[in-house]
Amino acid sequence: MSAKRQGVLAIFEDPGSVVDAIKALKSGGRRKFSVMTPVPNHDIAEAIDTSQSPVRWCTFIGGVVGGTLGFLLCAWTSLDWPLITNGKEIVSIPPFMVIVFECTVLIGGLTNLFAMLFFAGLPDIVQGEAFDSRFTEDRFGIWVPCGRQDAEAVAATMRANGAEEVRVEAA
Amino acid sequence: MAKLTYSKVNQDILKMIRPPTSAWGILFLTDLMVLGFGILCFAWQVYTGLGVAGYTRPVMWAVYITNFVFWVGIGHAGTLISAVLFLFRARFRNSIYRTAEGMTVFAVMTAGLFPLIHLGRVWNFYWLIPYPNQRQLWTNFRSPLEWDVFAVSTYLTISSVFFIVGLIPDVAVAREHATGWRKKLYTLLSFNWRGTDRQWKHYNNAYTYFAALATPLVFSVHSVVSWDFAMSINPGWHSTIFAPYFVAGAIFSGIAMVITLMVPMRKIFNLEDYLGDWHFDSMGKILLFTSLIVSYAYAIEMFLAWYGGNVYEKSVFWDRAFGHMGWAYWIMVTCNCLIPLLCIKKSIRTNIMAMFVISIFVNIGMWFERFVIIVQSLSHNFPVFTWKAYAPTWVELGITAGSFAWFFMFFLLFVKFLPAMAIAEIKEILPMPGKKRAA
Repeated sequence: MSAKRQGVLAIFEDPGSVVDAIKALKSGGRRKFSVMTPVPNHDIAEAIDTSQSPVRWCTFIGGVVGGTLGFLLCAWTSLDWPLITNGKEIVSIPPFMVIVFECTVLIGGLTNLFAMLFFAGLPDIVQGEAFDSRFTEDRFGIWVPCGRQDAEAVAATMRANGAEEVRVEAA
Repeated sequence: MAKLTYSKVNQDILKMIRPPTSAWGILFLTDLMVLGFGILCFAWQVYTGLGVAGYTRPVMWAVYITNFVFWVGIGHAGTLISAVLFLFRARFRNSIYRTAEGMTVFAVMTAGLFPLIHLGRVWNFYWLIPYPNQRQLWTNFRSPLEWDVFAVSTYLTISSVFFIVGLIPDVAVAREHATGWRKKLYTLLSFNWRGTDRQWKHYNNAYTYFAALATPLVFSVHSVVSWDFAMSINPGWHSTIFAPYFVAGAIFSGIAMVITLMVPMRKIFNLEDYLGDWHFDSMGKILLFTSLIVSYAYAIEMFLAWYGGNVYEKSVFWDRAFGHMGWAYWIMVTCNCLIPLLCIKKSIRTNIMAMFVISIFVNIGMWFERFVIIVQSLSHNFPVFTWKAYAPTWVELGITAGSFAWFFMFFLLFVKFLPAMAIAEIKEILPMPGKKRAA
């Protein structure tokens, strides 16, 4: 499954060192790298990128579409076979609101799921980064894709910022 | 939890999903036998007809609907813990939420069976779903029963998705330590998760929105369930307090079930470092708080029946406490109002055995609450000549026992094959490894 990868994988024990290494990479003009962590870490996330995830907009749109479809389903089916009960409106807004709410949550939630999978690149079939099983335990990793000519310089930067292990991967 | 490290968390929680022991096997087989008996009872009912249930006019809703409300209610604490407490950043949730969330999914899966069992002609269940048909008849969207179809199916879908999404980083941990078919299963369930910054960023964002969507959902679902009753004009049911009363009761019973499940789990898997006094103290406070709301609701129901001046309402509530089913009412009051008051004392809340015993009483009390509301109200309807007592038959009791076995079957499989505690979230509340401590 793994793709042909070229680059440097640095393994850190200390998340503070990861932040330092990210700053060093950025100041060296590198924007393309991945950080792998066993838990989310605010300092690391902020050091990499402060932009907001677009998932929230997808969820919002999904919710609005779900609510609208829920209302249209109730209204259309009630008008399709008009059954007047107790002289009430055929399109009775208050009882339909329950369906509208449930459809908002259902479609909003499913959109949230699919947006998350899409933007997070899950399932991760490509596996663009080199990986170490310790990243699911207590180690932090930085994967810097680069050619052979840059690999030594990147490895040196990683070591200088506290990496406990550095691996150069060649295709 | 101060002694824990990231590595130890991995070791301790993955220890739970080691190949099953013979004790687990015996427990699982016993559970399957009870389930098998429940399935036989159901098959008998399908073969013979709904007459084998104890339904008798005017009690045409009974144990099956009691079980439905009971199991939906059990599910609510899971969502409260996983979603509501997540939004409030209550850190004690991190150790308990996975089990509570699993409990939610399995409880709603159990609850969903009962409207179908109650239908009698179960093969016609699809009539509940709005679909185009040759007579152009649609479902009635003004009916609370139709709202229920939407509410419960949405709840099952969203809580299952929330559960599966929450599992992703932890199943990835299990994947790295598994071999053979388990590795394949965990690779599939983890979506090949690698914990990259990109994955965490979108994952955390989506998780927050799942919590934000699940929070109003949990309140809506049991409100809708309560309207199955409150929208009718039946005395004992027709009340505006039903929605908040049912929601508080659902959280109350669900928290009790979480405690019932977590105490043996803690003992069997040696999870003392993860489930300490702090967790049981916090759950005890929720139990006490919701017990007080439920007690208030019982009292206000009685007061409204008297103060409202409606003769039928007054008659139903007098009969509820002092009539032929008074025993069930007083079991309910003892288990739901009096026994949980012990949780006022911190020494009780932090006494794990005491909390386990209290939680069992609450489970029993909350089942009886639904039984009393449903059966007693119907048995004491408007016209005096229709009043009739009801007793469940062996078929209903068998199916009820089977429903517990169905729930525990999923739960036993869950604790043995999936990380029953949230590895990543427990790590989040531990000190970071390394020297610089970026937190």
